[in-house]
Amino acid sequence: MSDWSKVTRPIPVPNEWTKPFWDAAKQEVLALQRCQSCGHLQHPPYPTCTQCMGIDLKFEPVEGKGKIYAYTIMYHTGDKRFAPAVPYASIIVELDAAPGALLAGNLLDAPYTEAKVGRPVEVVFQKLNDDITLPQFRLAR
Amino acid sequence: MWENRCKVAVSGVGFSKITRSADIPLAAHALEAVKAAVEDSGLKMSDIDGLATYPELPATGHAEIDGVTIVSVNCMMAMLRLPNLAWHIQTESVNIGGAVQQATNALLAGVCKYAVVWRAMHNPKGTYQNLPGQFASGAAQFTAPYGFGGPGQGMAVAYTRWLETNNQNREKMATLAVTQRKHAQMNPYAYFYGTPLTREDYLNSRMVAYPFCLYDCDIPVQGAVAIVLTLADRARDLKPKPAYIAGYGQRLHFEVAGRIGSLSSYMEGGRSSSHLTWERSGFTPKDVDVAQIYDGFSASVIYGLESYGFCKEGEALDFIQDGRIELDGELPLNTFGGSLSSGRIHGLQHIIEGVLQASGRAGERQVKGANVSFVGASAPIVQGTTFIFVGEPY
Repeated sequence: MSDWSKVTRPIPVPNEWTKPFWDAAKQEVLALQRCQSCGHLQHPPYPTCTQCMGIDLKFEPVEGKGKIYAYTIMYHTGDKRFAPAVPYASIIVELDAAPGALLAGNLLDAPYTEAKVGRPVEVVFQKLNDDITLPQFRLAR
Repeated sequence: MWENRCKVAVSGVGFSKITRSADIPLAAHALEAVKAAVEDSGLKMSDIDGLATYPELPATGHAEIDGVTIVSVNCMMAMLRLPNLAWHIQTESVNIGGAVQQATNALLAGVCKYAVVWRAMHNPKGTYQNLPGQFASGAAQFTAPYGFGGPGQGMAVAYTRWLETNNQNREKMATLAVTQRKHAQMNPYAYFYGTPLTREDYLNSRMVAYPFCLYDCDIPVQGAVAIVLTLADRARDLKPKPAYIAGYGQRLHFEVAGRIGSLSSYMEGGRSSSHLTWERSGFTPKDVDVAQIYDGFSASVIYGLESYGFCKEGEALDFIQDGRIELDGELPLNTFGGSLSSGRIHGLQHIIEGVLQASGRAGERQVKGANVSFVGASAPIVQGTTFIFVGEPY
């Protein structure tokens, strides 16, 4: 299993479009942008709906269940912040509730070899500091 | 078909020396390549009245210093002091292919007569993707905290998607790396000229970001390449045999920054670009004699072959086997060695090879009888452009 204890993750800096995502994550809630015109859920956040170009977008809680859409196993130690965890799985998750919305994460609590396309995962929350909590994923239980 | 089909041509091409790291300022490389391209055309520098480039330094965490780590239009203007300069541009949305297309448009509009396009690439000392820092802002706030640093990982995720949804095996990619390296042995400007690669070398090489091993990644270098474009009528009066632009296209698929790993976005990007290239040129994939497809990472070639229509989706790793991409194969591919073996100077190398093959000037690696020459000049997803060059318009 990848040892994340010595990894110094970069701290996300919320901006005016993304702040509600991080505010929700702090409450251990996964919230995505939903277009109030067509109902489309999207991630990463964007100023307009990428489906209908609507501009009325609100963050709404979504169920944190999905499948591994894609992944990579990182072996390169060029990024010293993550070098202690190598090899580790960085994954892309497509939520069941939001097809096309792709969330990045790591596969926690499992050997990196468990990362496979299509495998069901669920969101967990990893507190980085008092302001920022990261949505992460583990194999669905 | 495009009303301007074959009305613009590439004449001369030029290369600087390619080195692993920077021992002279990048401006010197760019100047060497531009002078060589102008000389190859048989023109005088004072004939040049148009300039275009895409100056980005793709290495992150390194300063953009004009003349040292990038070469802007402004820098080139300062070096050349062109007395007849009439037009210039730096492109942003579609990499160097966009600069070539803008120069084509400027020539068609009649605002310049002889345009030079160059791509100069710096290789910084130390780690290429230098990612220090405590914070991740902008698009990176959704990726960097999870260890997504350089572009390699962003490309690698789509590749696992491709491999596993198509029940494919990454070991088949050895054929691409080895064939391209074989081609590079006929290209004195390739970084790996004189350094062969075997299938065993590929299979035993260290993993970088699975499924990418070392030889799935292009080699960062310092160097520059350049071309001269002009209207077809003028090109015929110049020294080299011209390569006419039969058609071009650019990526039209929209992608949100920070959304990574989407395989369908690679495919949509490639289809949107090549669709217009086929339509404008009047050719189909079956008409193509030789192809250059951007290979910053090996998987880009896979997405390119499929989204441009050379083979069906999910079949590209089988398509490249059995000698099909060799010089005497059905679709000779990346005949100069590609970026994997020639070095990372982005897609203008691919465009130059497309030009040389179309005009019969590729020397030892010339594909016999090649006329219709296809180029995919960037990864299809975000910065993709496609071109068809022909030596004999028909």
